[in-house]
Amino acid sequence: MSKGKRLVYVSEDLLREVMEVARSEGKSLGVFVEESLRLALSAEGVGYSPKEAAELLEVTHANRILGGAFVPLDVFNHLVRVAYRSGRKKLKEIWYESGVLHGKYLKERFENPVEAFKAFLEAARWDLSEVEVKEEDDAVKLRCFSTILTKEGTEILLKYLEGALHSMGYKIIKSDHMRGMIILEFKR
Amino acid sequence: MKVKRKTLFAREDLANRLSIIAKQHGYTLYNLVNEILELAIQAEDAGINLRRIFEESWILKTAKRDGFILGFESLWYDMADMAYEKDKDEAIKRWFEAGVWLAKRYASAGIEDPFETFKRNLEAYTWNVPEFTIEKGEKTVSVRIISPRFSESYTILYSAFLEGALEAFGYKTSSKEVSVGVIRLKAVGKEVDVEG
Repeated sequence: MSKGKRLVYVSEDLLREVMEVARSEGKSLGVFVEESLRLALSAEGVGYSPKEAAELLEVTHANRILGGAFVPLDVFNHLVRVAYRSGRKKLKEIWYESGVLHGKYLKERFENPVEAFKAFLEAARWDLSEVEVKEEDDAVKLRCFSTILTKEGTEILLKYLEGALHSMGYKIIKSDHMRGMIILEFKR
Repeated sequence: MKVKRKTLFAREDLANRLSIIAKQHGYTLYNLVNEILELAIQAEDAGINLRRIFEESWILKTAKRDGFILGFESLWYDMADMAYEKDKDEAIKRWFEAGVWLAKRYASAGIEDPFETFKRNLEAYTWNVPEFTIEKGEKTVSVRIISPRFSESYTILYSAFLEGALEAFGYKTSSKEVSVGVIRLKAVGKEVDVEG
């Protein structure tokens, strides 16, 4: 059955870019547009708007590059609790180092690594109920809140955040944390 | 500055569906189509396979619902080593219980084929594992995992997790081979006479 066509408007600049990308992929403009629309609809089917899908795209890609893996939250809490008891210093070190690696990757890849980091935390760390990043001149304020994060979980997350922001070129000017809450201020 | 607009032809059924979605989100069709195409260009510039990302976009959402948290696997392996070294039995028990919990969640969800759904989702959550297969026969299940990056303790703990899940689905482990980075499990339905 042939499908009907409908005229849609697109900004002229964007259309020019789309044509270039389609050409570089060896596709016609029509095929490229149809594929993009179809993919967006499939994302919408599982509840993602194009903007959310864009953020997800970065998070998923970063996870594949850096070796992201899922573990059940209960197991995660157990691992953190026991590892914390048996070697708090080492545990904090490995989380800090992991943060450093992540920060380096984000700095390398994104124009605004802090915003990309926020998107990552929101998508991957669903145990955080709120992640807020405020950038003012050369300072960054980062706030994370969670109603389910344990004390140990909060402390290692803090090390992770510090590692990531240090490797993005920031230094801590203020740090406050308690169970389920982290407030950090960094300066370039 | 006023943005110049051009028109292009899109498949009517797709455009109509997008138009409905745009209305639901308080967008115009123009804004939505532009956002989608910008995203497609962004993916192309970053060298990302947009199709794969969209096709897998359900994974994060479902994993969240299933109580999984996402982090870097090296962290999980290091922490598993530390926890296992400190209290092996407790660590195994926790992972086993996590498997039971997850399987019961599926088994009680009223879905048509809970085991198949569980299998499909678990395979998706183990995107970091090069080889992960779960095969269900008439009354048996076999699991095969090969992941060179798994540490020894992580392999043992993940095996306990799978055994917990299989048990909650009504299977009993009949044979097991677990060595660094390799898990092979065979399980039979509890109503089946293992000896026979």
